[in-house]
Amino acid sequence: MAFYMIGERINGMFKDIGEAVAKFDPKPIQEWAIKQTQAGAAYLDVNVGPTATDRVKSMRWMVEVIQEVCDTPIALDSTNYDAIEAGLEICKKPALINSCPCERPKIERVFPMAKKYGAKIVALTMDKSGIPKSADMRVAFAMELLAAADEFGLAPDDLFIDPLILPCNVAQDHAPEVLEALRQIKGLSDPPPHLTLGLSNVSQGTPHRPLINRTYCVMAITVGLDSAIMDVNDDDLVDAIATADMLLNKAIYCDSYAKVFRQR
Amino acid sequence: MPVEILKEKYTGKVQEVVLGATKEEGGTRAYTVKLGGSSTLPFLQFEGEIPNRPVIAYEMWDIKPDWPDCFEEVYGDVWNDPVAWAKKIEELGADVIYLKLKGADPELENSKTPDECAKVVKAILENTGAPLMVEGPGNPDKDNDVLQAVGEAAAGENIALGVAEKDNYRSIAAACMMGKHCIVGRSPVDINILKQLNIMLTEMGVSPEKIINDPLTGGLGYGIEYSYSIMERARWGALIGDKMMAFPVVCLAGPEAWRAKEAYAPIEDAGPGWGEQKPRGIMWEAMTAAALLQAGGDLVLMRHPEAAKLVKKHLEGLMVSNAY
Amino acid sequence: MGLTGLAIFRLLPKTNCGECGVPTCMAFAMNLASGKATLSDCPHVSDAAKEALESATAPPIKLVKAGTGDNVLEMGDEQVLFRHDKTFYHPTGIFIEVADTDDVAAKVAEIDALKFERVGQTYVVDGVAIKGSAADSFKKAVEAAAAKTNKVLLLMSEDPAAMEAAAAVVADRKPILYAANADNCEKMVEIAKKINAPLVVKGKNLEDLVALVEKVVGLGYKELILDSGERETSKVLADLTQIRRQAIKKRFRPFGYPAIAFTTEEDPYLEALQAQVYVSKFASVVVMKHTDLASLLTLFSWRNNIYTDPQKPIAVQPGVYAIGAVTPDSPVYITTNFSLTYYTVATEVEATRLPSYLIAFDTDGLSVMTAWAGGKFIGETIGPWLKDSDINQKVNHKKLIIPGGVAAIKGKIEELSGWEVIVGPREASGIGSFAKLRLGA
Repeated sequence: MAFYMIGERINGMFKDIGEAVAKFDPKPIQEWAIKQTQAGAAYLDVNVGPTATDRVKSMRWMVEVIQEVCDTPIALDSTNYDAIEAGLEICKKPALINSCPCERPKIERVFPMAKKYGAKIVALTMDKSGIPKSADMRVAFAMELLAAADEFGLAPDDLFIDPLILPCNVAQDHAPEVLEALRQIKGLSDPPPHLTLGLSNVSQGTPHRPLINRTYCVMAITVGLDSAIMDVNDDDLVDAIATADMLLNKAIYCDSYAKVFRQR
Repeated sequence: MPVEILKEKYTGKVQEVVLGATKEEGGTRAYTVKLGGSSTLPFLQFEGEIPNRPVIAYEMWDIKPDWPDCFEEVYGDVWNDPVAWAKKIEELGADVIYLKLKGADPELENSKTPDECAKVVKAILENTGAPLMVEGPGNPDKDNDVLQAVGEAAAGENIALGVAEKDNYRSIAAACMMGKHCIVGRSPVDINILKQLNIMLTEMGVSPEKIINDPLTGGLGYGIEYSYSIMERARWGALIGDKMMAFPVVCLAGPEAWRAKEAYAPIEDAGPGWGEQKPRGIMWEAMTAAALLQAGGDLVLMRHPEAAKLVKKHLEGLMVSNAY
Repeated sequence: MGLTGLAIFRLLPKTNCGECGVPTCMAFAMNLASGKATLSDCPHVSDAAKEALESATAPPIKLVKAGTGDNVLEMGDEQVLFRHDKTFYHPTGIFIEVADTDDVAAKVAEIDALKFERVGQTYVVDGVAIKGSAADSFKKAVEAAAAKTNKVLLLMSEDPAAMEAAAAVVADRKPILYAANADNCEKMVEIAKKINAPLVVKGKNLEDLVALVEKVVGLGYKELILDSGERETSKVLADLTQIRRQAIKKRFRPFGYPAIAFTTEEDPYLEALQAQVYVSKFASVVVMKHTDLASLLTLFSWRNNIYTDPQKPIAVQPGVYAIGAVTPDSPVYITTNFSLTYYTVATEVEATRLPSYLIAFDTDGLSVMTAWAGGKFIGETIGPWLKDSDINQKVNHKKLIIPGGVAAIKGKIEELSGWEVIVGPREASGIGSFAKLRLGA
């Protein structure tokens, strides 16, 4: 089973993308689409960011300009489900909806939409009251999400369950809880759901971001993580993932294994 | 409880490679054959496509071979004349002619020059219609010279040249690219080296639809299970999207099977219960080929025509669709 | 591996009644999956759920045994679909079919005597299938067969009365009974139960097979072998794959038994190739019609290969082996105790027709070059061993032939053993001409 790298860079939170979205300038968006695809991204996360005035319109425009230059599947990243649906309507490859928390009204909006468009869902182990601290609560949310998938005719592996990692400099105690949650969630169903993390979160605000990101990523892979929303252009991180993947005997070894990992 | 047929969801498939070129395609072959293309495990059509039946190639040499005596009655009339031999195996039903240029082995007296080899290949092409595969004598330097000359002489025919190995692939790959031929990459029963070789070939610019793999086969009774497992792992890799493990696989069933005493020993030297040599040899080869087909062989190289015919007939039954 | 939380949740009543002690069925399912609760805590659970949960802890494919004494055939209890994932445990039993209208005594005696030897192994047929045409002749045929062989018997008749009479004759032999179908299964189960014999359940297709297995299990019998009823090669392959795959990957209980396959090819060689498919892909028993030597020798060799454990190197007992009628003048070869290497060399040495000694040196089952690289086949280990070996008493010379690939170890062996070392050919296939040229064979 491959590791799904979701490229985080096309997000209006980044200055260059934010400006591009505001001015409807496709160039920076297309450049990052190509750059992340070449680095081996399985999905390109697309988030219109705070500068967009009409999120539905901006989302559709971003998907269009990306599809002009590559056919990498897209992860539609928004809390505005109309914007996501606008993107789903024009995505040429099955997309990923990013994201849906464990809240009934949102599940009822998102899950049928995923079914209709053949999309997969990043499902968050949280509800209105926020991110739980313990592994057990994360697992309980995951179970509810899986039961909901069953209910709406989705397969367990249509979900990319994200147990939500927090920055280690403010919530260090979450890091082992998330690892335990990953391990348990993998065993909740057969086939198991995909497991993902917003990886860059773990190092937010620290001066050692790449080191913390790749160390935690490798730790998480050993307990079942098979996807991450991440900086796919961090070569050391991708090398570490490729190596973990190979050492878990998921890919057949060859001397150029790290290079092969990026080709797909 | 109703039965739900359990189908695997694969994301990849075996690369399809075309061998030979007809007149319209710039060659002179009467037909072309396609290797690979499967998007499922061997013969499981219920969960994927198997667009091409595994191909049967017949082995021949450019000189009289050092094969067991029992081949005298089969090829004794032609094995001093490569053209006659090629025509005979074509009549016997070969999908592909596999020529080993053993005569160019520098350790032999009167070892053939690259030019002489090229002439043999040209003559065979002029007198037959089947697609052709050519293997060098097995000496790295000589292989390079011979295959370059053969590649030039056969330009446009889309033959396969082999074998490229990890330590000797550049010049053969260049000859293949120059003459637009296919290349056979071989590793010594080592899946990691095979994958690396495929990467090196593609990095040199060989196009994926020109690459064929020879994982080197153990014969029945002598390590065939290693090859079987390597081929099963490679096919699984191909199906889950590992493109560097997705090239069609040739199995040298004939040459490997006939190395075994069980195949060639006359009844006086046979072990307890073995019986007559002729059926035993034929079955040793046929069983080797059939077993490797179950592991995902896309082409089997056969030596004895009776064994080849058995395998062809056996394949008919396996190619019947088993879609539920 | 037990059931997952989601799989258990699907089986629960989803009433959230709370009587089990936790507020929701979902929480109860998760406690059950992690072993923190037991099913009996739920007062409303259905029988189907109970059955599914109980079977989840059983092995995916039941181990079923036939025969008695030295002739017991173990079937099933496999864990993987690919041998490289672990290993295949119980080699397919090869049976030969005899009709009750044949000269049963003669044919069974012939089958019983079949024996093949190669590379130190002996292959024999595992069982005899007796096919009944009428009750009377069937019983007589089974009697005749039982008198001629101790191998496992497989009784073939779908007529319960005929089966009952024939089974009584071999009640203490634990034969395989073939077959229970939709019409006769109550009676067949009764007969099988009485003598505790494995019973083949024969469906018309996979769907029908499942219904039948559930019926037979409902009658309280689980010593079963499966036959989907399919006979076309590619379709049998598909059915055998489904049966194995669903048993292992889905824990689908009706398929959790060994499977049987029958050849249909008229030509004995094609028949062996067809049987090869079923040996490779998941049949625990294959019933064939012919006894052609070449067919069986190659089929047995293949079965031996595919059932070799990929996780351990196969070694022969280290020591000095005599090949042919050796004398004190016989040459002495040395190789490693990796069985493939040893038998390849032994075969070639034997073919020289010059009686010789062959030393299988203990390299923990590694091949020559690997053992050399790993320091297990070098002068420092071979020399001292050779000096003290009983080979010194067996021959009147001190000349040792070593593999050409390790010519470099010549000096050290000579120094440490006092023997003269002759560098032999690099490949075993060169032994013939080496012996001719150098030893006058």
